[in-house]
Amino acid sequence: MTSPKAARLQKVFPVELEKFLPEKVLKNYGKWVDRKYHGYGIIEHISETGDRVFTVKVSMPPNARISADTLEKFADVADKLGIGAVRVTMAGNLEILTDSLDKALKIKEEVEKMGFPVGGWGGALWGINSCTAYLTCTTAVVDSPSITKALGDALAPYFSEGGLPAKLRVFVSGCPALCAGGTAIDIAIVGQWGAPPRIREDVIGMCLPPPKALAKVKEAQIFLVQVCPTGALSLRREGDKVKLTLIGEKCINCARCKENCDAFDYDPEDVGVAILVGGKMSNTGGGARLARVLIPWLPANPPRYEEIVAVVKHIVEVWKQHANPGERLADFIDRVGWAKFIELAGLQDIFNYYQQVPEFARTFLHYRGMGEVPKRLRDAL
Amino acid sequence: MWAAGSARIPYVYTGFIARRTRDGTISELHFRVTQPSGYLYSTEKLRQLVDIADKYGLGLIELAGQQGQMIISIKPELANEAIDALRSIGTDVAATGDSVRELAACIGPALCEYALYNTLEARDKFYTHPKIYEWLSNQLFPFKFKAKFSGCPMDCARASHRADVGFIGVWVGAPEVDLELFRKKVESGELDVEKIVARCPSGAISWDKEKKELKIDGSRCKKSMECIRTAFPAIKPGKERKVAVVVGGNVKGRFGPKLGWFIGYLNPDQIKDAVDLTFKVIAPWEAEAQPKYRLGDYIMQTGLDKFIEKAGIKLEGAPFTGKKPDEVPYAVLPKEVRERFLMFAEKLKGRP
Ligand code: SF4
Ligand code: SF4
Ligand code: SF4
Repeated sequence: MTSPKAARLQKVFPVELEKFLPEKVLKNYGKWVDRKYHGYGIIEHISETGDRVFTVKVSMPPNARISADTLEKFADVADKLGIGAVRVTMAGNLEILTDSLDKALKIKEEVEKMGFPVGGWGGALWGINSCTAYLTCTTAVVDSPSITKALGDALAPYFSEGGLPAKLRVFVSGCPALCAGGTAIDIAIVGQWGAPPRIREDVIGMCLPPPKALAKVKEAQIFLVQVCPTGALSLRREGDKVKLTLIGEKCINCARCKENCDAFDYDPEDVGVAILVGGKMSNTGGGARLARVLIPWLPANPPRYEEIVAVVKHIVEVWKQHANPGERLADFIDRVGWAKFIELAGLQDIFNYYQQVPEFARTFLHYRGMGEVPKRLRDAL
Repeated sequence: MWAAGSARIPYVYTGFIARRTRDGTISELHFRVTQPSGYLYSTEKLRQLVDIADKYGLGLIELAGQQGQMIISIKPELANEAIDALRSIGTDVAATGDSVRELAACIGPALCEYALYNTLEARDKFYTHPKIYEWLSNQLFPFKFKAKFSGCPMDCARASHRADVGFIGVWVGAPEVDLELFRKKVESGELDVEKIVARCPSGAISWDKEKKELKIDGSRCKKSMECIRTAFPAIKPGKERKVAVVVGGNVKGRFGPKLGWFIGYLNPDQIKDAVDLTFKVIAPWEAEAQPKYRLGDYIMQTGLDKFIEKAGIKLEGAPFTGKKPDEVPYAVLPKEVRERFLMFAEKLKGRP
């Protein structure tokens, strides 16, 4: 017999798919042969058995965080008009499954009445992913869910009515840890410290060995020293005391230290976001690649984040006007080249000014502006 | 402003995030609940989860699709009972911290006609393996480790960027063409051949107007899925299927975000070997990497070919792993490297 402790240790995984999958999906598992699109957001999946499943894609609020009550209402809709099943998509949208176009359209009507748009397929905005930031996170410097909300309001028509050359997805991360999904995406907005953090002297002790031990341990064995990728964090002897110091010139604002210890603070004055463009994840077009920094720093001004919204809208507009049909932002930039794209975006003067040393001389991280750049950029804008 | 908090749930070591405010007055607890593969729920299961969120928590749920988990805010004092409640409905808290993390599979055969292998089953095989289980329940690694399963090169599970080890369904050679159906679709105006030819990023497609024949050069095909998703089922993935393995992709890592490196193929019916391969991938990283190095960071530091050698991986179709030549004409070189270049020249010397 297993002891209570052993039983408690045993986690339970939802691997018995039959218990979770709706009957219609189980019956047609692996038998799908075709699909049809009905406007933005409704897809008909056709099985070789002749069965059909329609999915209605519903946009979720920023960070896909919803109340249990709302989720229950979706379950009601799925029961009343669907086949009693929903799917959470990779991107944090919710799909409601049903078995006829008629019902699918009714579901659309119903959820739109609840205030949730349906859309996000083909040449449309597929959604904006946001990390949790201040909701739960210890590292956040900008409030990504509210940026997502502001952006979502500005881009909403693209979600439900399309009108874009190809798929567009936006990731909004509250800091360089990139929890919204990384940078292999059309547009990524990433919170920046803007300037090296300051050590909170009163609490840094929590993340270090006790003072006496600190004097004896090898520097390379101190966790925070190991964590910093550039050696900006190092030990310094001050009289008979050993202290952790931060060398601002070496810091690249990667936030790895703060991720591992809550003894680093940033100055709200310097905080902003970087906007990266031209990444994608799937192998379509020219294949997967990481986005590049178009705008290294912009202020994050709540509640409407006018600067960020204006720039994103502008990028989308440039892409819309110049791209071929079906061309993702990444493939469009590939075709015309970065120099041309920067010119089309009207950034050539700033880029002439924002000269960086060659890549090999920097670190692997592209976040660093040079010295005063954030401040000067702010003045220039 | 949240800081890391702590919570104690007897014998449950991973799967929840505890937070407290800096002044220590408020604490929060969030459960990371495993979703079934494909994230498809019957409403019955969904309602059970909703009930748990209501009864033991704040009634707040995050449908975090990318991670393969649902995050439910729980009242700390009810955490223990909430675990029991979750288990009673057939799921549980999964992983947090430096452990094997979320495993994600695309919807694959459950709803998608492109699926080239059974991604859901592959994910479930991982979950039920005792070793993975141990790694999932305890924090034993330098940093987190993720595995993802995509049924085809569309990579809906984001195996190339968000997984330390990713498995992506592919085929060998050219896509399969049902010429008759294709011609029909062209004649009816449903398909625009010119566009299909133009959109192929590898220029592998040609259309003979006279004979009405479509040719796809398999050696050039980059598996972009462009023609397939436009003309399906007249153009389908080729019959000979493989699972491409990519390692080292990540978002959060020491050296910034990166895409994974392709290291070779598995056969689709060997997908159980994927688990064994994953153990090989983990071994050198677990033994040698410094704290907070993701697998990709470790590979960057060791070099991909050295890593493959250390891990003892031998896969079919393993590519040349050398990097682009350097642009900087100076470097500190170890003796062995210098000797190799010398040997290269020595061999050439004798030639006429
Ligand atoms: S991206 Fe940064 S702010 Fe957002 S959840 Fe991750 S660590 Fe927190
Ligand atoms: S932000 Fe990054 S580079 Fe700067 S001190 Fe922290 S870990 Fe080091
Ligand atoms: S990765 Fe391919 S098989 Fe999987 S859901 Fe996406 S398109 Fe379908």
